Amino acid sequence: MMQAYFEGKREASAIGSLVTFLAFGFGLLGLAIAYGVALGWIPLGERAQILRSNLNTFEIIVVVASLIYAACCLRTAYGLYTREGASLRWAQWMMFVTVMIGGTILLSVAIPVGLKFSLLLSQVADLRDVINDEPGAFVSVALSTGEALISISLFIIAVIALLALLVFLIPFLESWRDRPGIRLIVAPPRKFIQAILVVLSLGIICFLVAGAAVVPDYPGQTTIRDSENHRLLAGLLFFLPAFFAYRVVRQVEEQSDELRRALALTPGKFIRAELAKSPSAGAIIGFIAIFLGFTMATDLFLEPSSVASFLSNVATKGVIAIGVTYLMISGEFDLSVGSILGVTALSFMNFMTHGAPVFGVVGPIPAALLAIFVAFILGAINGVLLISTRIPSFIVTLGTMLAFRAITLVAIAGGRILRYSDHHTELPIIGISNLVFIALAVIGLAVIAFTAYRVLPVLYRGALQAWSIRADNGDFGTSGAIVRSVALVLVALILLAIIVWLAAVLAYHGSASGGQIVEVGYFDLFNGRVLAIGEDGDFFHMQIPRNANVRLAIVWWFIFVVIFHVVLTSTSFGNSIFATGGNEGAARAQGVNVDRVKLQNFVIVALLTGIAAIYETARNPGVDPLKGTGWELEVIAMTVIGGALLTGGYGSVVGSLLGALIFGMLQTGLVLVGIESRLFAGTIGVIIIAAVVMNTLVRGARQN
Amino acid sequence: MEYKQKNDNALVDMIDIHKYFGSVQVLRGIDFHVDRQEIVGLLGDNGAGKSTLIKVLTGYHSLTRGQIYFDNEAVRIHSPHDARELGIETVHQDLALVPLMSIARNFWLGQEPTYEVGPFRFLDKKMMARESIQALADVGIHIRDSEETVGNMSGGERQSVAIGRAVYFGKKLLILDEPTSALSVGETQKVLDYTIAAKEKGMSVIFITHNIRHVYEVADRFTIIERGHKLGDFYKSEVSENEVADMIVTGQIPERLRLYDEENGDVA
Repeated sequence: MMQAYFEGKREASAIGSLVTFLAFGFGLLGLAIAYGVALGWIPLGERAQILRSNLNTFEIIVVVASLIYAACCLRTAYGLYTREGASLRWAQWMMFVTVMIGGTILLSVAIPVGLKFSLLLSQVADLRDVINDEPGAFVSVALSTGEALISISLFIIAVIALLALLVFLIPFLESWRDRPGIRLIVAPPRKFIQAILVVLSLGIICFLVAGAAVVPDYPGQTTIRDSENHRLLAGLLFFLPAFFAYRVVRQVEEQSDELRRALALTPGKFIRAELAKSPSAGAIIGFIAIFLGFTMATDLFLEPSSVASFLSNVATKGVIAIGVTYLMISGEFDLSVGSILGVTALSFMNFMTHGAPVFGVVGPIPAALLAIFVAFILGAINGVLLISTRIPSFIVTLGTMLAFRAITLVAIAGGRILRYSDHHTELPIIGISNLVFIALAVIGLAVIAFTAYRVLPVLYRGALQAWSIRADNGDFGTSGAIVRSVALVLVALILLAIIVWLAAVLAYHGSASGGQIVEVGYFDLFNGRVLAIGEDGDFFHMQIPRNANVRLAIVWWFIFVVIFHVVLTSTSFGNSIFATGGNEGAARAQGVNVDRVKLQNFVIVALLTGIAAIYETARNPGVDPLKGTGWELEVIAMTVIGGALLTGGYGSVVGSLLGALIFGMLQTGLVLVGIESRLFAGTIGVIIIAAVVMNTLVRGARQN
Repeated sequence: MEYKQKNDNALVDMIDIHKYFGSVQVLRGIDFHVDRQEIVGLLGDNGAGKSTLIKVLTGYHSLTRGQIYFDNEAVRIHSPHDARELGIETVHQDLALVPLMSIARNFWLGQEPTYEVGPFRFLDKKMMARESIQALADVGIHIRDSEETVGNMSGGERQSVAIGRAVYFGKKLLILDEPTSALSVGETQKVLDYTIAAKEKGMSVIFITHNIRHVYEVADRFTIIERGHKLGDFYKSEVSENEVADMIVTGQIPERLRLYDEENGDVA
C-alpha cells in the first residue's frame, strides 16, 4: 500500500495521505504536550497532587522528550509528503514509538484503576448495589456488561482447558483425539480463540471504564485522582491511530529495491535482534516494564527516599548475587550462602565482643577481615568437597547449608540475639584525616582524566566519521550523526562536571577551613547512611535529600558489579568460567583447569557473602541464629531473573544487578501502590517464570 | 619384560603404554611412534583403545605405566595444558567446542591473547576477532561475524572451526580424533586437505579413524590397534586399502605381511 503511494499510484494516495496526516498530527500533539507541561497546565509527578510553581525534573525530561518526538514526527510527515524513500522507515519507527507511548499511557491508567477499582469493590460491599441501583446509569451498564463478558469468556476458556487436560490425561480418550468433537477441544480453531480473547478484552475495557468513572467519586476509600480519565483519553489518542498506521507502514507487498532495503528490518524485529544479543533480555524488559508501571502507578515511587530505600534493601543481596552468577555460569550453584552469611556475621560480632582465637578482642576492621577469612574457609570447604567427591553441588551445598547453620544455632544459645550494644556502649569511631579525602579526590581525578583520554577521542572520531559518510549510511545517516555528536557533547559535559566536583572537594579539604580530621563511625564506613559520613560540602556530600536512606553498601555494590562484569567479559578467567559451564569436556580438553575454576568460584561466592554479612551487621549491629535463612533462594531467584542458565554457560553480572533491582522495586513498589506485602512472594514467583520464559524465547530467536 | 629402545628420529615415541580403568585394562603395553612430518593413521575397531591412547598422550588421562618421549626428551604429561605447551594440538571427537560461546572465544579458549594495563590483563578482543576470522579463512571457512555463537553452526562447520583452531595453534603435532565421522563427503575432503596442509607446514599428524577409506589417501603409515594391543605398523607402500580394512575387522595380520614383519623386527 505504502509502496504504491511512493510510486505515485492514485489508488494508494488516500492511505498515504492519511499516514502523512497522522504523523503531522502526532508532531503537533507532541508540541502541544511540551507546551502544556512547560507552562504548568499539565502537572506531572509530585506536582499532580501538590501545586508548586516550578517545574520538577520529571517534567523537564518530559518536555525535552516531547520536543524531540515532535521534531521527528514533523520531519517524517514532511518526508512522506515529499515522498522520500527513507521516510518510510522513519514512519515505521515513529509509529512504533507512538504505539509504545500510547500503550504505556494506557497501562498507566489500567493498572491503578483496575487495582483500585477491585479494592473498592472488595472494601465496600454495598458499592456494587449502589452502582447497580442508579437507574439507567451508564456506569452500571458498563459494570454489568464488563462482568458478564469477562465471566463468560473466562468460563469458556476454563472449560476448554480442563477438557483438553482430561483428554490428555486419560489414555482411552487420547485415542479418540481425531474424532470431530474431541478434536474441537484439543485444537480449537484459531478464529474461535481470537473471538474469545476479543470478548475478554472488551469485558476488561468495560470494567475499566466503569472503574475510571466511579473511582474518583470515592476519595475516602482510595487515594485516587480523576486525572486518570484524561490520561485514558490521551492514551487512546496516541495508541489507536498509531497502531493502525504501524500496521499499514509495516506491510511489505511488492518491493522496489530501495524500499526493500528500507523495510528489511521492522522496528519490532530490530529490537528483538538487539535484545537477543544480551543474556538478560527478560530482565531488561521486566525492569523497564516494572519501573514504568510503578512510576506511573504512584508518584511516591520516584521519590528519592523510596529509590534509596529499595536500593539499600537489595544492595547486600545484590552483592551475593554477583558471586552466585559466577558460580551458576560455571555450572554449579550454592545453597549455603545464607548459612555462610550467618556464620560470618556471627564471627564478625564475636571477634569484636568476645574476641578472636589468637588476636583477642579486636576492632571492627580487623574483625571484618578475620570474618571474611572465615567465609573464605567455608567457601573453600564447599569447593573442595565438590571437586574431590564429584557429588552434584546441589547435594554438597544442601549439606553444608544445614551444617553451617548448626554453627550459629549452637553458638547463640536459646534463640538469643547477640548485640554489639550489650558489650560496648558506644559505636566505634575512626578519625579520618583530610589527607585521605584529598588522596581519594586525586585518585578520582586521575581515573576520570584517564577515562576522558581514552573515550573522548574515540567518540570524536566516531562522530566525525558519521558526519562524513552520512549520505552512504542509509536512512538514518544524518540523524545518527546528530545523535553521535550529542552523545559526544553529553559525555564531555558529564566528565567535566565530575572533574569540577572533585576539584571542589579537593579545594575544600585542602583549604584551612575544611582541613580537619573527620570523625566517622567504623560501621558507617561499611554500610552507613551516606549522610552520616562527614559534613556538608565534603567528599560524600552530593545532592542527597536528608530523608533519603542512601547506604554506602549501594556504592560498594555498584563498584563490585563493574569490577566483576569486566572480569567476566574481558579476562581469560571469565572466558574459562563460561567454558567450564558451557561444555566442561571441551574446556578441559582446551587446557582450562576446570576444578580450579570451580573452586575459585566457590571461594568468590563465599567472600562476597562474607562482605555482605559485614554490611548487614554494620547496618544493624546484632546477630540472631537464623540470620540469612532463605537468602540462598532469593539470591538464586535474582540471578535466574537476570538471565543465568541453571545448566551453566550463560549469564551476566549486569543481569544479576537487574534481577536484584526488580526484586527491590517490587518490594517497595507493591507497598506504595497499596497492595499487601503478603503478595510479594507470589508476585516474585510469577516474575521468575515470566522472565525465564522470555529469556528462553529470546535465546531461541538468537539460535535461529 | 623386554623394553623397546627409544627411537631417536621420532617426534613422539610412546613405549610400553599401559592404561587401566580400575580392573579394566584398556591399553596393554602399546608402543607407538610418530616421525617428523608424517601422517599416521591410527586405526582400530570401536573400543580398540585408539581414543584412550590419544587421551594419554594429550594429558586427558594419566597413564598407568609406560614412558613417553617427545622431541627425544622423556616427558610427563599431566594435563591438556602440558600437552599444548609441548606443541600438541588435538581435535577431540566430541569435546571440541562450547556451543553457547562465540566463535572467537572458542577459537582462543585456554590461550587467550591479552594486553596489560598496569597489573591487570584484559582480553584483546579485537585481535581475537581479527585473527580467528583470518585463521579460519586460511583453512577455507568464511564467517561473517566472529561474535556468532557456535551453537548456531552446522556440525560440519563446527568440526571445521575445531580443526582450523588446531592447525592455527599446532606447532609440532596435530591429533585428529575421528574428525570425519559426522561429515558429508565434501566436508571430509576438506578435512583431508587440512591434514596435508598441516604436514606441509612441517607438522606431524595423527589421524584416528575406524574407516580406512577416509585416511588411506593421505596417510604415510598405519598403526593398527586391536583390543589394547598393537597389531603392527604398516607403510602405505606395503599394504593395500583392503588388507588394512581386513586387519581392522579380523584382528589378524595376513601371511605375507607377517613374514615381512619377522625379518625386519618391528617395522619402523
